[in-house]
Amino acid sequence: MRARGGEAVTGACFKGHAFADRENRVKVVMLACASVAILAILLIFLFIFRESLPSIRELGVKNLFFSTDWRPNVADPKAGHYGMLTFIWGTLLTTFGAMLISTPLGIGAAVFIDQVAPDSMARVVRRGIELLAGIPSVVIGWFGLILLVPAIARVTGTSGYGVAAASLVLVVMALPTITTLSAETLKSLPAELKEASVAMGATRWQTIYKVLLPSAREGLLIAVILGMGRAIGETMAVQMVIGNARAFAVSPFARTSTLTTRIVTDTGEASGIFRSALFAQALVLLLIAMVLIILIRVISRKREAA
Amino acid sequence: MLLSVGCGGRPETADDSIRGEVKVAGSTTVLPIAQEAAVEFMEANKRTEVEVQGGGSSAGITQLKEEVIDIANSSRELQPGENDGTIVDHKIAFDIIAIIVNPDLKITNLSRKQVKAIFTGKMTNWKEFGGPDREIVVVIRDQASGTREVFDKIALGSTSDKPVWCVPSAIESASNGVIREIVGATPTAIGYVSYGYVNKTIRAVELDGVSPTIENAAEGRYTMARFLHMFTQGEAEGPTRSYIDLVLSDEFQEEVVGQEYIEVKKVKRQ
Repeated sequence: MRARGGEAVTGACFKGHAFADRENRVKVVMLACASVAILAILLIFLFIFRESLPSIRELGVKNLFFSTDWRPNVADPKAGHYGMLTFIWGTLLTTFGAMLISTPLGIGAAVFIDQVAPDSMARVVRRGIELLAGIPSVVIGWFGLILLVPAIARVTGTSGYGVAAASLVLVVMALPTITTLSAETLKSLPAELKEASVAMGATRWQTIYKVLLPSAREGLLIAVILGMGRAIGETMAVQMVIGNARAFAVSPFARTSTLTTRIVTDTGEASGIFRSALFAQALVLLLIAMVLIILIRVISRKREAA
Repeated sequence: MLLSVGCGGRPETADDSIRGEVKVAGSTTVLPIAQEAAVEFMEANKRTEVEVQGGGSSAGITQLKEEVIDIANSSRELQPGENDGTIVDHKIAFDIIAIIVNPDLKITNLSRKQVKAIFTGKMTNWKEFGGPDREIVVVIRDQASGTREVFDKIALGSTSDKPVWCVPSAIESASNGVIREIVGATPTAIGYVSYGYVNKTIRAVELDGVSPTIENAAEGRYTMARFLHMFTQGEAEGPTRSYIDLVLSDEFQEEVVGQEYIEVKKVKRQ
């Protein structure tokens, strides 16, 4: 405001100066915003690390991270066992299951939107998938609970709760991310690629899977990784259908827990080393997320180089 | 919160003499009683605000000690480690834990031994009980639950030195309502809930031939029962005192507590 006022009074010869002044101020504000974000991430990381330290120190890396013995003790936390391998495995298993389905589905939908469907239909499909991203996870979990779980129970003769139900729910959560990002990637490919391929006499299908998809490989990979990030962090919807057990899952229909669902199930009453062990689980989640982000950086750098 | 600004004489009516905020949290078993009491209390004392939340007995006791809340609802006794001598116990009701199964299962009676075998995972198929050849799905409460603690103690013989654990594949649920929901929806499920949650969607089974009824528990025949508590830090004072008095009043005990639990004064055992 002040800059604009000065501009009006002092006239044209100070215009440039006032403009630079304003730009500097904007820069400072932006820098402050960025610093807050970075500071927040740093603080979160430090806090979680600090809170998980007692359990790491007390139990040791092996008993905490590589043991499946989860028998917490609320009244006397020191007497409990806090191995989290079951839940790390649960997280990886449900996420892997979800990716197995949502990757072909998401990329397929992206190809349909970008290459196959007529414009009007592509718009409808795209809007529909974007809408899917806006559905609160608890609603998706609810559908999983009343439709998916009984269906799985009928087909398999199990309780219906378990890894498979959780993976299917996660497919719904990851699909919008994978589809929209994949469609963006395909759209950003130079038109010449397709033209050249078609000019060589390739059919549309050949063009898609021999030319377009390989050229978009890195972008598609990033789309899948981001979808994976969404799946790994999902809590509410998974908790409703995974069966919340502490057993190590050996079958897709076994009941177990993921890191996120275990944290949310037990945080309320945990104290002392029990609480610290839950923070250690959060730390593992954070590390997994970081690995995914680093993976994305590496891949996109490779893409830029190519 | 409405605070009167006037500096005139203090209000004389009982309506206005009690004012302030009461924060209540803890056991989901006690939750319905505490909520009903809160509604009645706020109606009778317009200048009070009672805030009631769940969270489980352990969470409530922790919050009470941190002085985040005024009353901790609990469905279990204080543990040795939790009582530093300042916590005051108000027994507000007597409750029964009922073992429930899906109504599709043709099972009406289980012995204590069978219950232990099922919940600890020694018996995993209903056909061992004359039921269908299907996996037994055990549904239990979460770690914070006082109901779980009492069940583990009475039904499984768990002690703090030698804890007995339920089968690892058991589904952990955050509330009585969720257990009832899961057992009602899963044809092969078994679980336990507070007596007040028993309804037509599930079946409460007999334990050693004794059905979980108010009469049987009050007279000591059905043993899976316990007191429900409201704990305060030190003697309750002010609005907190008045709130607990309301819960313990004959009228409230008869009309609200008596509907689903047993009124405290009717219980002989301690």
